[in-house]
Amino acid sequence: MSRSSRSRPRWTALLLIPLLFAAVAGLQTRIDSEMGSLTQLGDDLFLRSPSAIKTVSLGYESLLSDIYWTRTVQYYGGRFATEGATFPLLWPLLDITTTLDPQMIIAYRFGAIFLSESGTGGAGRPDLAVELVKRGIRSNPDDWRLNTDLGFLYYWRLRDYPSSASAFLDGSNKPNAPPWMKVMAARVAQKGGSLDTARMIWSEIYESNKDPKIRERALETLRGLRAEEDMQQLNLLADEYQKRSGRYPASVSDLRSAGLIAAIPVDPDGYPYLFEPDGKAALDPRSPVVIPKEIKTPPTPGHY
Amino acid sequence: MSTAPLPVALNTFREAVRDRVLYNLVFFALLMMGAAILVGQISIGIDRLVIINLGLSAISLIGLVMAIFIGVGLVSKEIEKRTLYSLLARPIRRWEFLLGKYAGLVLTLVVNTAFMTIGLAAALFYVGRPLVPTDLLILVAVYFILLELALVTALALFFSCFSSPMLSTLFTVGIYITGCFAGDIRAFGELTRNPAMKILTRVISYLVPNFHNFNVIAFAAHGQRIPFSLVGHNTLYAVLYVALLLIAASAVFSTRNLK
Repeated sequence: MSRSSRSRPRWTALLLIPLLFAAVAGLQTRIDSEMGSLTQLGDDLFLRSPSAIKTVSLGYESLLSDIYWTRTVQYYGGRFATEGATFPLLWPLLDITTTLDPQMIIAYRFGAIFLSESGTGGAGRPDLAVELVKRGIRSNPDDWRLNTDLGFLYYWRLRDYPSSASAFLDGSNKPNAPPWMKVMAARVAQKGGSLDTARMIWSEIYESNKDPKIRERALETLRGLRAEEDMQQLNLLADEYQKRSGRYPASVSDLRSAGLIAAIPVDPDGYPYLFEPDGKAALDPRSPVVIPKEIKTPPTPGHY
Repeated sequence: MSTAPLPVALNTFREAVRDRVLYNLVFFALLMMGAAILVGQISIGIDRLVIINLGLSAISLIGLVMAIFIGVGLVSKEIEKRTLYSLLARPIRRWEFLLGKYAGLVLTLVVNTAFMTIGLAAALFYVGRPLVPTDLLILVAVYFILLELALVTALALFFSCFSSPMLSTLFTVGIYITGCFAGDIRAFGELTRNPAMKILTRVISYLVPNFHNFNVIAFAAHGQRIPFSLVGHNTLYAVLYVALLLIAASAVFSTRNLK
């Protein structure tokens, strides 16, 4: 075979291969959209039993657990902040992940957040979050961080202050536990439900976490708590104003005119507070500050 | 068009039959029979689902093992047995030889898959289920499996043109696994905040053959309609990618020193 006829396929390849790659990439985008219309059915767990998966993992539980955890994050991330989204597979995925690798602390900690957040932020199942963290504590008895998560879940999500205090106290006795855990346990036991205690817990969450999303969430809650505290103070002043003048203030300027405050109070985003006709302080509708609904709604009965 | 690849293809098929490659059908038949008998006793209401899932998965898995392990030996075996030299002394070009070998193995896989599909239909018949129009979806799933196998065969043949059977197997299996997760790789990149990682995962996901495209077993088992356009696009995708791999294999093989 001549040299030129042997090199012909190479030149043909050099010309055709990039063109074919471009064609398959273009085609892939079309296939993606067609497959996307079918994914509703594909989004399922064919094997739900964690112990069965552990049995068939042939000793590769750790690797399989990593894969399941990645899938959990993708599952949550794909639905997070989507209107009307539900999270039916979140618990089975976390159950499988933590059964395959009971030492995967991150799955307990983040999994509890994914499960406990309500609305479009998570499954709205603090009960399952508590179960997950308790399982994590059983498998990792020396890890104090899981106790802080459990204390937080009881305090913030379930408003079960005695259980919360107990979780913080148990954690404070573990190796390397920070001193503030004992303080937190005492504080929750004495002043459960107060804004002060809530602020203390969220400040600790902000300080002790490195994840930017959790820190951002903590900061947002702290701003909401500060606004709530301001409004509670303003409500007291409005009552005082009403006693003096026989009517509720129409705006915060009325309080200043009456000499009850020195300056116009503003929320953490700089918007002045308003007064509703019944004399209750409120946020400016333009203000991005959000009052945490956990402190707006009454506690669930039976948790005390 | 030259008919030179045809005898090579038929010879490859005959050789596969002679090597008792089709004996795997016995294993498949036993698996289907066992599943058909057992499933009614261990499950309630999912007989059909289990038989279809198990049958299609077995067709895919057995086909993959054949495509990879026979595919990587297509060229090296001929060199090892020195039959390649007598073949190339005839009026046949190297790319025609490759095309013939490829077509021969694909023919073997088609025949094998056809028999397994009949076995699957028999198992469904055994569990006492009347045929329904959605059963055609099983044929679509089988067709997609064949497209997948054609692509894997081309991949194995490409690697076998320049590396040992052992390495070719590793490369083919590696690319196959990566290709199965192509969509996840891209999704993973989208979740990261690193733009470089986003671009890298996107490029990888488009560069590797996307085997996830051909996985419609669950949809077929649940009787969910598969768009006709997807059949067309997947066929075109497989044809283009196979052409790409065969052109690359020909380019490598034509310049390879066989002395």
